[in-house]
Amino acid sequence: MTEALLFDALRTPRAKGKSSGAFYGVKPIDLLASALRALQERNELDTSRVDDLIAGCVTPIGDQGGNIAKAALLYSGWANEVAGLQLNRYCASGLEAVNLAAARIRAGFDQLIVAGGLECMSCVPMESDGGPLLFDPEVLHRTGYIPQGVAADLIATINGYEREILDQYALQSQQRAAAAQAAGYFDRSIIPIHDQNGLLLLDRDEYLRPQTTLESLAGLRPAFTHYGEQGFDAIALRRYPEVERIHHHHTAGNSSGIVDGAALVLLGSAAIGQQLGLQARAKVRAAAVIGSEPTIMLNGPGPASRKVLAQAGMEISDIDLWEVNEAFAAVALQLQRSFELDPDRVNVNGGAIALGHPLGATGAMLLGTLLDELERRDLQTGLVTLCVGGGMGVATIIERI
Amino acid sequence: MIKYKKDTDNIVTLTLDMAHREVNIINHEVGKALLPVVQHLHREKAAGRLRGIIITSAKKTFSTGGDLDYLHRVQNVEEIHHYAENLKQLFRDLESPGVPVVAAINGSALGTGFELALACHHRIVLGRPNIRLGHPEVTLGLIPGTGGVIRLLWLLGVEKAFRVLTEGRRYTPKEALEVGIIDALADSEKDMLERAKIWLLAQVEGRRPWDRQDGRIPGGTARDNAVAQVIRQLAADLTQRQQNNYAAPQAILNILSEGSKVDFDTACRIESRYFTELVSSQESKNMIQAFWYDFKAVIDGASRPKGFGKFRPKKVGIIGSGVMGSGIAAACVMRGLEVILKDISKSVAERGKLYAAQRLVELAQEGKITEEDSSALVDKIQTTKTAADFEDCDLVIEAVFENRNVKTKVMHEAEMHMDEYSLFATNTSSIPIRTLAESSSRPGNFVGLHFFSPVEEVPIVEIIRGPQTTDETIARAFDFVKRIRKTPIIVKDSWGFFASRVQNTYLLEGIQLLSEGYPAALIENVGRQLGMPKGPLALADDLGLDMALRFENQAAVLYGPQYIQHPAVPALVKMKDDLQRLGARKKAGFYDYPQAGERYLWTAVHEHFPHHRSDWSRQKLEERLLFVQVIEAVWCLQEKVLSSVPEANLGSIYGWGFPAFKGGVIQFINDYGVVDFLARCRAYEKEHGPRFKAPKLLRQMAAAAS
Repeated sequence: MTEALLFDALRTPRAKGKSSGAFYGVKPIDLLASALRALQERNELDTSRVDDLIAGCVTPIGDQGGNIAKAALLYSGWANEVAGLQLNRYCASGLEAVNLAAARIRAGFDQLIVAGGLECMSCVPMESDGGPLLFDPEVLHRTGYIPQGVAADLIATINGYEREILDQYALQSQQRAAAAQAAGYFDRSIIPIHDQNGLLLLDRDEYLRPQTTLESLAGLRPAFTHYGEQGFDAIALRRYPEVERIHHHHTAGNSSGIVDGAALVLLGSAAIGQQLGLQARAKVRAAAVIGSEPTIMLNGPGPASRKVLAQAGMEISDIDLWEVNEAFAAVALQLQRSFELDPDRVNVNGGAIALGHPLGATGAMLLGTLLDELERRDLQTGLVTLCVGGGMGVATIIERI
Repeated sequence: MIKYKKDTDNIVTLTLDMAHREVNIINHEVGKALLPVVQHLHREKAAGRLRGIIITSAKKTFSTGGDLDYLHRVQNVEEIHHYAENLKQLFRDLESPGVPVVAAINGSALGTGFELALACHHRIVLGRPNIRLGHPEVTLGLIPGTGGVIRLLWLLGVEKAFRVLTEGRRYTPKEALEVGIIDALADSEKDMLERAKIWLLAQVEGRRPWDRQDGRIPGGTARDNAVAQVIRQLAADLTQRQQNNYAAPQAILNILSEGSKVDFDTACRIESRYFTELVSSQESKNMIQAFWYDFKAVIDGASRPKGFGKFRPKKVGIIGSGVMGSGIAAACVMRGLEVILKDISKSVAERGKLYAAQRLVELAQEGKITEEDSSALVDKIQTTKTAADFEDCDLVIEAVFENRNVKTKVMHEAEMHMDEYSLFATNTSSIPIRTLAESSSRPGNFVGLHFFSPVEEVPIVEIIRGPQTTDETIARAFDFVKRIRKTPIIVKDSWGFFASRVQNTYLLEGIQLLSEGYPAALIENVGRQLGMPKGPLALADDLGLDMALRFENQAAVLYGPQYIQHPAVPALVKMKDDLQRLGARKKAGFYDYPQAGERYLWTAVHEHFPHHRSDWSRQKLEERLLFVQVIEAVWCLQEKVLSSVPEANLGSIYGWGFPAFKGGVIQFINDYGVVDFLARCRAYEKEHGPRFKAPKLLRQMAAAAS
């Protein structure tokens, strides 16, 4: 069987997803196009050899609407031969793009695919695309669908995670991210973003707060109490009646940040790698996606990880490094604790709490971060997993060559 | 049926006057009668002989709604859908040809009657405070089905329409004007018709906003993010308040959301689909049974002793100015009665009056009475420390605390000053009436009145017959209760009477579940989620664990050797005696009561009642909590504690909040299916013990049904 090889992974820096962020006013298509041009240059790519661009995007309307993948290809001057696909599996989108590309390469359908994603949350706000799970009252009624923050608080409540434990986790994410940034661990993947005059807009992640302390975290107000009071707690308790009440412990400080960013991964077969002189860094060993109970929604990383491990014929202990998306502190903690993982092998360079979570891009970013770190530490295997809206989970195992 | 009159200005007045009915209702009959009239009007319009239309009524009311007999009976969904679409089309034909139509609303317009008014271009209402307007359909598990939801959507916008439709309030004309569902008030019938004519003559053409190119729904549609966010919040709030147990408010929200995104006629079709679903649902049948048929049976006096003239009390004496006494005082003055409020001193009685005043202000804030009323009403409460002031009272109610000696003492004092005709009532929930009646000097005029707390809100009073209480006294007590707009339920002097006795089974079952090892939070959540106002453990705390035990002890005395102890009694005794946790009053029960903030489950509850049941079925838990109540209510009927099914149904909903969508504690059996219910009782009896044993009456019901 043809292996799906990883030749390159890169990403834009993550900018604050609000009007004070460095990418506010930059068009989403420009971020994706910048990433495409960087990929082309770094790999001296004959773009006509690329079969497809698969780009995850979770809010694909307005400036991210239509088919942003094909739009960005045309806009950045890539060959007309390249097809473009936008996909949406919520927060899994960026990784789903990679998994789909890998599957098609392994199936022999395609030789070379660019996969990744983008999200300019400052430009196209989260939930602005609407949808029945959010806004159709009959669908809400039947599905018991609640805001993710309340679901995260429910996970924390059920696991007995007090506020301080979540804040400690958040602090660790900040400290690890700051250390990694200072040491230049992100430099291999990050591409600086310039304006049309070549003036620098941003060349490093700007969301993180290295000065964070437990005290400053403790001072933040719970972010999802108001949703709970609106009635979403009651909806959650209908599904989880053993819970007396939900403790709202997640804050802006121990939840993922709202940011802008894009990421791309270049995948292909060994044959095309040889033809184009691309150096394989790793292979996609297995990939999996699962569905889970939708009200608590964010429990997916556990079952997705088990499924992908089973597919690869591996044990938990066979994985050298883990990247679990820090959508909320409780989600990452739950996987770490329930799998009894060594904390020093999980999110070793911080995560979305410190760096931000550009929805459609995050999966591809985590994959790139993991690949860089495996190489830096000279380790073999890594597993990326994310919790996903609607009650889903995604996971991918990569292995260095 | 419809009087047609055309004046020299080419204005046609249509006067509704249904034959053989006290009120105009909107049904097939009206539809049939209106159709040729509307067709005629279209011809007149085409011929240029029609300037405008006034619709009014020859009855005291404008129109009080749809045909509930029909809606309760009809099952076939095609038929229901057809019915809704037909009436809709008729209303549409009335409003759409461009002839302005005024509803001259001379009396109450409710439900489909108000929908007719909404289908007119302009609504003028006679400004009488006793007139009621609006859409109470939701209280019967229904929704407007003749375009009312969509017209209110276009008139008020999504959020406001949702509130008007789901609150189901009956507005006074003044309130209706403030809410924005009518356009003008008139001083007299003459003024109303004149205003109607002036308005019509000023119109060039009658076009509703939804028939105009530039028409917009106020505030926007569900396609707008801000409105979508509001809808999401309303959906969550609905679950919080009603636990997804009521389909009608949910349907209203769905229609407003879906209907706001499409044109008017398509939106109306969406309304018809939901209307059809609700009319054919068991839930609406249950609610119509309880709140229409059962209510009428009870309030019309099916259980009131016959042959006694109507009792018209004017002045009520109340002994004891605590929460109960002052609550009764507020309930009395709200309905125009004068009150003498007595306590051990005038200053103590004044405190009670102050409490009553506060309650009246709160009721005014909730819109249940007007603010002017609330201050005027307080003046109708006179305080005193002497029983001599009861001299000209038609009725004296004692509401002192539950102590037999104190109750006897205040009764003697009052009786000394009361004439032979007036009634003396004792308000008690747990002391047998006969023990007090024994020492009454006028036992024929002595009766028990069991008010529920909070008195101003709970719409029911149990009337308890003492051993010598005369039929006339019962009839007069009935009239008094009705006079203060509460539902009278006549019960036998038996332990816990009806409501408390049955309610007690719910909390005992909850305690039993706790003893069996189910998590306390689960028990509480399941109790609330199935539609009870509180979890069983919270209720036990509020009632007091000693009180829960007292009812059991009274049952033990009554049944003697036949008494089978409830399995929850040891747990109750343990809580009360060993753990000294008596409930909310002692700030320690199944819950902890912090100085500030809401109570939460006692953190140590599972140290004393270990929880080891993680396998549970919601259906079984729900059924256990409900079945015990239903079975006990059947025992009450069998033991003649109360004499009718309607009283049991309404008593259960009003008295202790039995789920209204089930239609009450006996209708629950019909809803479940009596044969299935009996079979289920047998299964539970086997598994959980004799408290699930079906009374003979239930077996007879099942036999009759099969």
